[in-house]
Amino acid sequence: MATATEQEGGVQTHPDVESYGAVNRDILKMLAAPDKGWWICLGLAAAGVGLFFTSWIYQIVRGIGVSGLTSPVGWGVYITTFVFWVGIAHSGTLISAILFLFRAPWRQSIYRTAEAMTVFAVMTAGLFPLIHVGRVWYAYWLIPYPNERMLWPNFRSPLVWDVFAVTTYFTVSSLFFLLGTIPDLAAARDQAKGLRKKFYTLLSFGFRGTDREWHHFSKAYIYLAALATPLVLSVHSVVSWDFAMSIVPGWHATVFAPYFVAGAIFSGVAMVITLSVPIRKFFRLEAYLTIRHFDAMAKLCLLTSLIVLYAYLIEFFMAWYSGEPPEQQMFWNRLFGSYWWATWTMLVCNGIVPILLWFKRVRHSIAALFVISIFINIGMWFERFVIIVTSLSHEYMPFAWGVYRPSIVEMGIMVGSFGWFAFWFILFTRLLPPVAISELKEVLPPPMRKRAQQGGAS
Amino acid sequence: MSEGLKRRDFLKVLGVGGAGASLVGCSTEKVERLIPYVVPPEEITPGIATWYASTCGECAAGCGIWVRTREGRAVKLEGNPNHPLSRGALCSRGHASLQGLYNPDRITAPLLKENGEFREVGWDEALELLEQQAAQARGRFLLLSGKTGPSLAAAQELLAAAAGGRRVEYEALSEAPLREAARIAFGTDVVPTFDFASAGFILSFGADFMETWLSPVEYQRGFSHANAQDEGGGKAPFVFLGSRLSLTGQNADEWVPIRPGSEAAVALALANVIAREGGDAGPYQSLLQAYDPTSVAAQAGVPESSLVELARRFMSSGPGLAVGPGVQGQHRHATAANLAVLVLNAVAGSVGRTVHLTRSDLTAPSAPFANLQASMNAMQAGEVGLVMVHGTNPAYSLPTSSGFQAAFAGAGFRVALAQALDETASLADLVLPESHPLECWGDSNPRPGVWALQQPVMQPVPHFQSRPAGDVILGLAAQLGATTGADNFRGFVQGRWSQVHAASSRSGEAFDAFWREALRSGVVETSTPVAAVPALRAPDVALSFDPPAFDGDESGLHLVVYPSPRFGDGRSANRPWLQELPDPVSKIAWHSWVEVHPETGAELGLREGDMVQVRSAHGEVEVPVWLYPGIRRDTVALSMGSGHEDYGRYADGQGVNAMTLLPTEVERPSGALVHMATRVTLEPTGSRLRLATIEGSSDQSNRNVSQAVQAGVAAVAGYDGGHGTLQELQGAGGFAPVPTDGSPTAFPLPGARHGEYDPEAHPRWAMAIDLDKCTGCSACITACQSENNVPVVGEANVRMGRDMGWIRLERFYDHVDASAPGYLDIRHLPMLCQHCGNAPCEPVCPVYAAYHTPEGLNAQVYNRCVGTRYCANNCPYKVRVFNWHRFTEVPEPLNWQYNPDVTVRSEGVMEKCSFCVQRIREAQNRAVLEGRGVRDGDVVPACQQSCPAEAIVFGNIRDPQSRVAQLSESERTYRVLDDLINTQPAVNYLKKVTLHPVESGGH
Amino acid sequence: MSGAQRGILASFDHLDATLEAIKALQKGKVGEITTFSPLPEHHIEHALGHGPSPVRVFTLVGGLTGAATGLAFTAWTAMDWPLIVGGKPILSVPAFIIIIFEMTILFGVLSTVIGLFINMRIPRLRPLVVYDPLFSAGRFGVYVKGSPEVVQEASRILQAAGASELQEDEEGTAHD
Repeated sequence: MATATEQEGGVQTHPDVESYGAVNRDILKMLAAPDKGWWICLGLAAAGVGLFFTSWIYQIVRGIGVSGLTSPVGWGVYITTFVFWVGIAHSGTLISAILFLFRAPWRQSIYRTAEAMTVFAVMTAGLFPLIHVGRVWYAYWLIPYPNERMLWPNFRSPLVWDVFAVTTYFTVSSLFFLLGTIPDLAAARDQAKGLRKKFYTLLSFGFRGTDREWHHFSKAYIYLAALATPLVLSVHSVVSWDFAMSIVPGWHATVFAPYFVAGAIFSGVAMVITLSVPIRKFFRLEAYLTIRHFDAMAKLCLLTSLIVLYAYLIEFFMAWYSGEPPEQQMFWNRLFGSYWWATWTMLVCNGIVPILLWFKRVRHSIAALFVISIFINIGMWFERFVIIVTSLSHEYMPFAWGVYRPSIVEMGIMVGSFGWFAFWFILFTRLLPPVAISELKEVLPPPMRKRAQQGGAS
Repeated sequence: MSEGLKRRDFLKVLGVGGAGASLVGCSTEKVERLIPYVVPPEEITPGIATWYASTCGECAAGCGIWVRTREGRAVKLEGNPNHPLSRGALCSRGHASLQGLYNPDRITAPLLKENGEFREVGWDEALELLEQQAAQARGRFLLLSGKTGPSLAAAQELLAAAAGGRRVEYEALSEAPLREAARIAFGTDVVPTFDFASAGFILSFGADFMETWLSPVEYQRGFSHANAQDEGGGKAPFVFLGSRLSLTGQNADEWVPIRPGSEAAVALALANVIAREGGDAGPYQSLLQAYDPTSVAAQAGVPESSLVELARRFMSSGPGLAVGPGVQGQHRHATAANLAVLVLNAVAGSVGRTVHLTRSDLTAPSAPFANLQASMNAMQAGEVGLVMVHGTNPAYSLPTSSGFQAAFAGAGFRVALAQALDETASLADLVLPESHPLECWGDSNPRPGVWALQQPVMQPVPHFQSRPAGDVILGLAAQLGATTGADNFRGFVQGRWSQVHAASSRSGEAFDAFWREALRSGVVETSTPVAAVPALRAPDVALSFDPPAFDGDESGLHLVVYPSPRFGDGRSANRPWLQELPDPVSKIAWHSWVEVHPETGAELGLREGDMVQVRSAHGEVEVPVWLYPGIRRDTVALSMGSGHEDYGRYADGQGVNAMTLLPTEVERPSGALVHMATRVTLEPTGSRLRLATIEGSSDQSNRNVSQAVQAGVAAVAGYDGGHGTLQELQGAGGFAPVPTDGSPTAFPLPGARHGEYDPEAHPRWAMAIDLDKCTGCSACITACQSENNVPVVGEANVRMGRDMGWIRLERFYDHVDASAPGYLDIRHLPMLCQHCGNAPCEPVCPVYAAYHTPEGLNAQVYNRCVGTRYCANNCPYKVRVFNWHRFTEVPEPLNWQYNPDVTVRSEGVMEKCSFCVQRIREAQNRAVLEGRGVRDGDVVPACQQSCPAEAIVFGNIRDPQSRVAQLSESERTYRVLDDLINTQPAVNYLKKVTLHPVESGGH
Repeated sequence: MSGAQRGILASFDHLDATLEAIKALQKGKVGEITTFSPLPEHHIEHALGHGPSPVRVFTLVGGLTGAATGLAFTAWTAMDWPLIVGGKPILSVPAFIIIIFEMTILFGVLSTVIGLFINMRIPRLRPLVVYDPLFSAGRFGVYVKGSPEVVQEASRILQAAGASELQEDEEGTAHD
């Protein structure tokens, strides 16, 4: 694992953090009693949760028909939002697993936030398949269990792959997340008093940081990362196969798996930026979330946006090149048909706006990054909307073409899902150390007696 | 029909006496209370259907029906194959008759109006009141009736006589001009009968003989026989002359868009050409001179050459048949126009070959508006003490300008004998709930020599204390001192049928045996005097054959008000099935629309869905625009039958009543109401409406889904139905390619054969649909809806695109030109589940709700379905429909219509065509009981059964002898999208055959 | 009293001091050493020289079990009630591979975590006799266990190395 002596050319990643102790002080103070602003945010989020469940219950009572879904467009905002959240969920494990294996020295400060975001995003995404089915009270039939009819799920169905992929991903990313917090919870425990101490004692499983513990811990961490890396790449591939495995023009494309994975990382990193900017401000973490970090994330966004843009263009090319009228006309319709506005929103937000990230000045302006990341979030939601709706509305049988208009209920659930996500995330910022304390120390210079003597007491 | 059907009718259809009916009735109530039979009544075996033969009461055509009853409830109507007219077919309106029977808006009890409010009263009170009122009004009695069977008509006459009054028959759709023309031309006062089947060339002057004109089901069958490739060899060309393409027009091979009102002139011009070239015009010789093609062509707005050439072809490829003009020609010179067409037939020598005038003493008088108008004046003048309305609804079907309401108010006491509280009934003082035709006795005499019985198939629906109109009328007549010769209407009918007995071939046997047999087969044919071919007679009244006057100024657009294929004159508008059925022409359900030519629309700046004020000199309505290339630029069209104000929850407020735009004017000499009389102006209101249509795009967009081939041209050399040998990843668990023969019989594929799935052990059910026969009439859709409990979703949901029909009749315009005469190519494609061998919907279902049975059916297991809708997304044919709400919860007793053999689907479940799997199982079970295999033709799905054009054939395609297997070998056979996505469907389409080089969609 | 295990815990503010202490103790072969650190400090690890962690075995076994289970499960359920969908083979292996993969990962991760907990001897909720809360913050700790004599020697060495604080442990808590 990386330590102080192995930073790239000895460059200080956190020049403003003077010592190990300072890290604990700065990070753990975030867990102190919440202030007004925090409660307000939580309240807003709770309102969103309310909206979410009111709409859903209304739909369960009145029937799925209260959505705007129809024939031929059987999937709409719900699946769009599902894919959106699954995508968001990808940066977390990516940063904590892949960047970990690649020894990227800028991950330490952000990966805890990213992982938390992952877990909560999957928790949100996981609800949408339930929301969109016609008989949610039978949704458990997708789970493989020996039911009275001895009928098992159809393992040829991408939806069952989905069930396996998403649940696995949720389990793994949660474990990864909780495991990573153990040493920091121990740190919290060592400082906390009273009830909080009990709470953290329980969660830290009595971790003390002995050489043996660290030894197994860091090894296990590598194995987990090694397992999580293919998983994170597979999950969004599987989600993309929900579409690619069908024969719907506009869905049936081999580029989908890499295209969706890139898109997922794209949106995920954007969301990390969107979240860490306010956290940085709110908890005064400028010393920990430095411009360097944002610059690195911005570069990752830029790269993935280029991949995504390439995928868009290659799709149009292949449609033209295929010579199949259904393909060609579907993509023509995508650009200039009933949903042109969605398509162009997608192209501008995901293809044009990120071009700004080529400029160092933009990458180094927190405000600019924040705005751009919002654009990317919107654009990525529309990407899924475009893929799903425009394709379905314009399939093989011309006489059966149709237009889908999302209903107010769908919008309520979609907006509410952000509340649901925010609710958990805001709780997280107060209950668990949002920055990885122990791992952060790995990129800090260790306290040395020599240096102390030279540079006076530390 | 196939041999299978004959056997079925022997097995299943049985006659029933009154006793039988009442027994059935008792059982009905038992079923109501869900008490198992302790002593099962005769003829009722739980779970086994009982069939009764009867007559359809929906329109004047009087098609023969079989009614399928289960545990004493009627659950399905089918055509009676013994009936010489309908020959086993049935139209949508016929099927929907069931929803008249179980309509929740039927009158529950006799209603008496007291200071403006109806109050329920007992039958005794009601009849007492009726009798005393009738007694008072003796001599000042008026009976307004719709067209009824001969016996009921006779009973009404008895009553009218006894009450010292008159019986006046009125039908909104009157054949009076045709009949009058026949009288003038040949001196026989009958409606001619037309033999489409043996015609070699068919001309229609705007007559909608496939939808509403005279006897649509019969004519459609005859037409498909004449016009389809595979029947009788030759393909009789069909040319449609008119300003608007009805469904009939859409099926024409050529369209001559003549100017409205020019029918007579054009017909005479054609006759003129034929006469010049040797036809015998008799007394009309001189008249014809006045109508030379040159001037007429100018008048009609078509090139002269087209007329001359048309006339020559009509003459040469005989026997020709010219019909019409229909309602498009019911203008101020309608009789003349009809006469002209008859003259054309006569000159071409078609009379006696395709046009028959069989004299009959029994044919009821025609029911023109003139008679009604006279009685209206009488009422207005207070000369009517008691008016009784039965089976007609003038308050709705007459133009508002007629002032019927005022006139009706003038009558002393107003009685309505009605099933539902319609516009006229709600004006009455006393309303008597009449039984539905399926609940009471009656008969019909649709043709000279054809007698059909109508028998009760079940006890009257207990929710309504209705009584058969016949009994009420006879009873009243008896009270007024008439000698009815029977104590109830059944006896009365029997009495009258003694004549039929005498005239029939079975006159030898005892009447009872004859009666039983008549009940069983439903129809009796008596010998009719073979009339000599009548000669043309000079007109005995002054007639003008020139274009009539039209109200409104020149700049206006001609208004066609045509009877709806779904509602007729509007009496069927309270049937949800028909409201939901997409109109065969516009594909719009529930609401009204005005048909405007796209170019006219562009001139007026109208887009589809724009609301417009349609204004005539007589009234105005507000409807959305539907752009239709099949209508002349100077014409717009509105359908009759919508816009009810007082006809129950399903009809009220749906669309507009087009009659309000018409003048109240009588055509002379026939006395019919003038339909094609006025011009209108369109004025956008600025608002828009999302049409409740199922039409996505009527352009095939190079998909080539609805294919055609020119007559005489072999489809394509070596064309194999879109499939060659191909490699499929079937071996080694899906890794190794295996060569697969993509033939319709190829299921299961080699690698998939496993356990149950042994190709030898099972049939593969398949279907063949002949697009050359299919007319797009949509009867199959309602038949399917009735058989398979397909729910009605309502206007709002149809507007969203949630129509749930298991069959979607697609309509593509391949060549439509309203500006000049020329060929016409409108394709109709019935799209239903293709039961693909490689069904894309199946593997994507996470819970095996969609899977393939060993018999090659694409099964949908409702109670496995959780509603992910992935299958619908992945279905390239888009034939899967989803239950977005609890659509199957319908008001009592509408739910009685449900077929007990088919699951009633709940909310959140996907469904689609099952190839009527319940009928397959029934046939297989019967075969087992009879210790034999299933024969070809044993399994007849609902759609095939009711198809008037006999376009659908179903069977086991693995049996090389089966009809479906042989049809699938035809060089016209193709499978939709199969060559593109290798779905290997079980539905084989036979390309439409055109008389011109195919532009698009050929192969 | 004599012969009983006792222990001593020294806290260090500086890493190099800690390392010196460890080296000195190792040179004198004094007692068995347990170190505390706020982060996985590989110099210390190096100094103490741990062998490979047995956790990896759990990972491997878990993963293989998962793969086997996935294969057996998908194949058995397909054969148990053979239903043809989309004309595909009953054993549609390409489709099953996805399930197999996911189960490999899932089982692998779960058993890794279990293995880790077993090896770390956690959860352990019994509070320590001697522990310095600052270990989790910035301090390093060296704990020596042995006979009273050993502990005395150790404390001398630790002090020499510049321990900022020493704690006596009367019980000689087991720290492995």
